[in-house]
Amino acid sequence: MKLPSGMGGWVKALLPWLLLACLLLVPVTGTSANVMKLIFITAVWTTTSLAWNLLGGMAGQVSFGFAVFYGIGAYTTGLLMHAGYSPYLGFLCGGILAAVASFIIGIPTFRLRGPYFVIATIGVTEAVRVVMNNLDITGGAGGYRIDEKQYNPTEHYFSAIAAVSLAFLVSSLIASSKFGLALRAIKQDEDAAADLGVKPYYAKLWVHAIAAVLTGIAGGIYARRAAFFYPGDVFAFQTGISILLMPVIGGIGTVWGAVMGGVIFGIVEEELVAKFPNIHLLLYGSLLIAIILFEPDGLLGLLQRLARLLRSKRSEDPGSNNPDQVLWGRGGSQGR
Amino acid sequence: MDFSQFLNLLISALLLAGVYAAMAVGMTVIYGVMKIVNLAHAGFLMLGAYFAFELYERFHIDPLFGAVLALPVFFLFGMGVHWLLVRWLPKSDTPTLASLLLMFGFWLVLQNFAYMVWHNDDRSITTPRTLSAVNIGQITVPEVNLIVFAAAVVCLIVLQIVFNRSWFGRSMRALIQNPYAAQIVGVDDGRTSRLTFGLGTAFAGFAGALLGMIYTFSPDFGRQFLLRSFVIIVLGGLDSVSGVALGAVVLAVVETFGPQIQFHGKYILPDSLQPAISFALLVVVLLIMPKGLASMFTRKRRLT
Repeated sequence: MKLPSGMGGWVKALLPWLLLACLLLVPVTGTSANVMKLIFITAVWTTTSLAWNLLGGMAGQVSFGFAVFYGIGAYTTGLLMHAGYSPYLGFLCGGILAAVASFIIGIPTFRLRGPYFVIATIGVTEAVRVVMNNLDITGGAGGYRIDEKQYNPTEHYFSAIAAVSLAFLVSSLIASSKFGLALRAIKQDEDAAADLGVKPYYAKLWVHAIAAVLTGIAGGIYARRAAFFYPGDVFAFQTGISILLMPVIGGIGTVWGAVMGGVIFGIVEEELVAKFPNIHLLLYGSLLIAIILFEPDGLLGLLQRLARLLRSKRSEDPGSNNPDQVLWGRGGSQGR
Repeated sequence: MDFSQFLNLLISALLLAGVYAAMAVGMTVIYGVMKIVNLAHAGFLMLGAYFAFELYERFHIDPLFGAVLALPVFFLFGMGVHWLLVRWLPKSDTPTLASLLLMFGFWLVLQNFAYMVWHNDDRSITTPRTLSAVNIGQITVPEVNLIVFAAAVVCLIVLQIVFNRSWFGRSMRALIQNPYAAQIVGVDDGRTSRLTFGLGTAFAGFAGALLGMIYTFSPDFGRQFLLRSFVIIVLGGLDSVSGVALGAVVLAVVETFGPQIQFHGKYILPDSLQPAISFALLVVVLLIMPKGLASMFTRKRRLT
């Protein structure tokens, strides 16, 4: 662990700890149940956002299929709790099973060039939901109910905070590790990365599995609190879309961007969707288009740009280090 | 299953394949020329269905004619979308994150626009001929399916002629085969891309209108067919137009006969599992022959 340098470095290094401390203190201060629920949901969403960002943001592999992992986590936790095991074992097993599912999707598709992975992630979401709708042991389309003796909102709260902290820790470690560098190299140019000794196939498989574990855990935690879930909810294509939208809106490829996206999304979903049920996806779609065309670094990139403008009005804005490269991999001048 | 039943199923599978081919071909040309996975294809299919629906409800225009009308309208619409959004994407020889997310965002916009306009009700286009059927001996064919099949095949033949005979078609094929070489010999990349996107969208709207004549639809209509289009173009080899027809036939046959397979007198695949069939087929194809079915028949002629 190297010491941070300068003011900005210290702020960056301490910010996560400060946030964590605040979040841990929330239940003690007697916050209302609604706010606790809001933070819980936001933490679960942020966990999935961070997980998607590992695969989509760092390695550049777009997946629409994270609902599969989320749902697997939910159902595994539900079934294990029904059988009398601890919910925490359920979260763990949910994560592991999600990782197994990630290999099933990844092994045939990561080997190939072209859009096969994306296509498979859309396909697997549809197929799994259809199968779950017809599976008898989980109650089919009717859903599954968890009967937990005592309902303890504080425990749910802390489990969600633990999950999001784990996701943040894993993301930060990967981002600053050799593995993270390899992933970024794959995103920019797979051939060049392979020439430099990265094994793109295995790197993609592993990061997919790690992301799946985190998403599975998040699904389990959500399911335990919700106590009732059905395939049209946890396995919905919509869930996969939500998981994808968060890091893209926040700022793809950066840990803080994913966190920001998750927080904004969680609050918007909880507070605004009830009032405007039809508008929100239209807004997300437009926002997605605007971000891709104008600000590929997402809201975090926009904030950074504004901050730079405020800080140095006199000197010319140098621009972020070529956002095109960060988001789009191979630049426009090379290749067709 | 006796012979007449088998024949009935086979014919309905082949009729289905015609629409499937029209549906997937738009996606194939766009992928071939621009290497963009057009996720908004689902939105265009859905809009096509509503286009025919509105024309029929408001002006009593026959949905078949509505489908043909969809061709020029969606062609212009697609060119507009290309001019407004797609042309800003960086060019690449593999699908990029940006292109996927952009087309996906556009799909979300189209879908939720449709939710606002038409709400979440299942609609259908019911004409006097919707329920009539043609009987030939023991074979019964719904009249709509026959008409839709004929329309789809005629359109595919026209497309094939455009593809083989016109300058535009030759430019498209050149760009699919080798974008660099094509540009060196003077193919206008931007113009061909714009026209191709228009063409792909036109076929999506057309196929959507045809599908709307057979099935009920809602603003989420396109999604199930998006997956089927994927399966078809993966089966057919990602950028080969003739492969699409083959892929469509295979998918339609598997989907039609899959639920009929019996094991100890029980159906092992209920109808409700049909979307899972197409996905299973996709995975099997990816594992066994990632280059698509067409690769079994054509050997590579180049020495690379």
